[in-house]
Amino acid sequence: MDNLGELLHGFTIAVTVPHLVLMVVGVLLGILVGVLPGLGAPNGVSLLLPLTFGMQPVSAIILLSSMYWGALFGGSVTSILFNIPGEPSSVATTFDGYPMARDGRPTAALATAFGSAAFGALIGVILITFLASWVAQVALAFGPAEYFAVYFLAFASFVGMGGAAPIKTVVALAIGFAIAAIGIDTVSGSVRLTMGVDELVKGVSFVVAVMGLFGIGELLVAVEEEFHARAVSSKIDWREVFRAVGRLPRHGIALLRSAAIGCWMGITPGGPTAASFMSYGIARRFSRRGRYFGTGEVEGIISPETADHAAGTSALLPMLSLGIPGSATAAVMMGGLMIWGLNPGPMLFVDQKDFVWGLIASMYVGNIVAVALVLLTVPVFAALMRIPFVVIAPLIVIICVVGAYSVSNSYLDVVMMLGFGIVGYLFKKLFYPLAPLVLAIVIGDKAEDAFRQSMLMSKGSLGIFFANKLVTCLIMAGIALLLLPLVLQLARLWRKPASPATEPTAQEKVII
Amino acid sequence: MISRRALELATAVLTGGFGVSVVISSLDNGIGWSSAGVDAGTFPFLTGIIIVLGSLYNLVRGVLPVASLANVPIAITPFELRRLAGLFVPAAIFVAAIPLAGMYVASSLYVFAVLAIPKHQSVPRALGMAAATALALYVVFERMFQVSLPHGALAAALGF
Repeated sequence: MDNLGELLHGFTIAVTVPHLVLMVVGVLLGILVGVLPGLGAPNGVSLLLPLTFGMQPVSAIILLSSMYWGALFGGSVTSILFNIPGEPSSVATTFDGYPMARDGRPTAALATAFGSAAFGALIGVILITFLASWVAQVALAFGPAEYFAVYFLAFASFVGMGGAAPIKTVVALAIGFAIAAIGIDTVSGSVRLTMGVDELVKGVSFVVAVMGLFGIGELLVAVEEEFHARAVSSKIDWREVFRAVGRLPRHGIALLRSAAIGCWMGITPGGPTAASFMSYGIARRFSRRGRYFGTGEVEGIISPETADHAAGTSALLPMLSLGIPGSATAAVMMGGLMIWGLNPGPMLFVDQKDFVWGLIASMYVGNIVAVALVLLTVPVFAALMRIPFVVIAPLIVIICVVGAYSVSNSYLDVVMMLGFGIVGYLFKKLFYPLAPLVLAIVIGDKAEDAFRQSMLMSKGSLGIFFANKLVTCLIMAGIALLLLPLVLQLARLWRKPASPATEPTAQEKVII
Repeated sequence: MISRRALELATAVLTGGFGVSVVISSLDNGIGWSSAGVDAGTFPFLTGIIIVLGSLYNLVRGVLPVASLANVPIAITPFELRRLAGLFVPAAIFVAAIPLAGMYVASSLYVFAVLAIPKHQSVPRALGMAAATALALYVVFERMFQVSLPHGALAAALGF
């Protein structure tokens, strides 16, 4: 019951005129970056980051998180109306959303998507309300060894459940760690991995990496295909909105199942993209109308959308209570927290009650604001999509260049950003996952510090990771997740010895 | 035309090369155990080794014909390659021009060039958009958020 009292206090912080204005601004900017291909939630949030330095942390996080909700909604708009996913996590929405819109039911498709998305987000926020402070309380007793075990578990779950090829995930993670290590070592003070470039002493900011990987990289992927915005009508028929939302409860099982998948994938850092694909795949297998999927089925929209938003929202739970972000965007926000001088993790719930509960309350309000705004502005943003891509592309390049420069007024950052763009393109093309890379850049140092502190405590013995039940369980769970892909492959070989050694991963299967 | 295999190969070589440079450079900081605990180079050294081993695995997997992922022979067609170059080459020239021309001049030249030269827009409209870009950057960054963007060596020589 304590939580409800705290939540009410949070509402008194979140529901004030300045914060409501910030929510509206954040959501609108979010829809904008969500709609534009090449700009997504991670870039959008990192672009806004330098502008929040003068703000109160709680106002800043409300602005950034509202942008996140807006981007999640905006991505679905273009998926449904144009068959162009504005965000990687709304790719699965195109499968049934666009066919339904093309059949002359664009309003029904949009309203179904927004309704189920709001449901998913609501379940995610409720989960945070009741679980976050409990998790934080448990985590208060953590020492460095336990922290390292939790980090290890988070990274292992990317490998075991992220949906990409496991070794590619491992390589992406390790590259992120190496990039995080560049610059001054926080423990010994010595300079590491600068490879002779003096300017690298300041390290490589995650903002630079995000701008390149997600901005330029995505732009390069998008430019490959001839861009046809064959829009279906974007007029909103309000009676149809209420009818479509009214039909949602009939698909209660699909809603609950997708929300559960989403929350699980959000907390264990699988991320929204993996969650939406997984939810779509499972719905296709279990729905009675599964074989009609791909032709405009209602459940084909509900499943990815609910899971996408449930995962996006619940990704903030481990960020707040443990200091481990559950998605790339959450990783960027956590970077922001550290820049504002807050220490993400369980101490937030003790020291920064207003910040935490203001944020949680704002998530309820922000999602309502987002649903209302996205419905009202669909025609405006749909018109934006008619601007030719050749005009938008150079503008996005300039935004990424200026964004990378303004992090620390360094030209080297701009050049590195362009390099990250090429890496992002190659990685996307070959299905290397990008989220673990960003995550490792943001929390790599903290994971390393936790490891080295534990080693200091144990005088160099790895036995500290098996010293008590909790830490042993976490480490064993991590190892199990790491080995999961190997075990699955062996099981497949054992059942069908003649089958080819590799099968496309879930995401590749869907894309092919 | 670039095959999927060539792309896998190139990426694995790229990541592997990064891994090797991480390993070599981490040796300078010392790996192992000293009086101050775990040496600074240990963690990067281990991640470097993981990158190298993982890249080798990806290299073999990408090159082996039967096991190649998803059996997509062609990853980038010549047409797609032209479009990619059409976006990336001007962007790279733009970035290269920033130290000399400054952010404002470089970005408006960039916008003008990519719109007017391939005749996507008429010259006056491209000029208008180029000017609007520079103006918007100036108002948003220099005025509203007090972030100074580079003015360039040329502007400095002219006394701005």
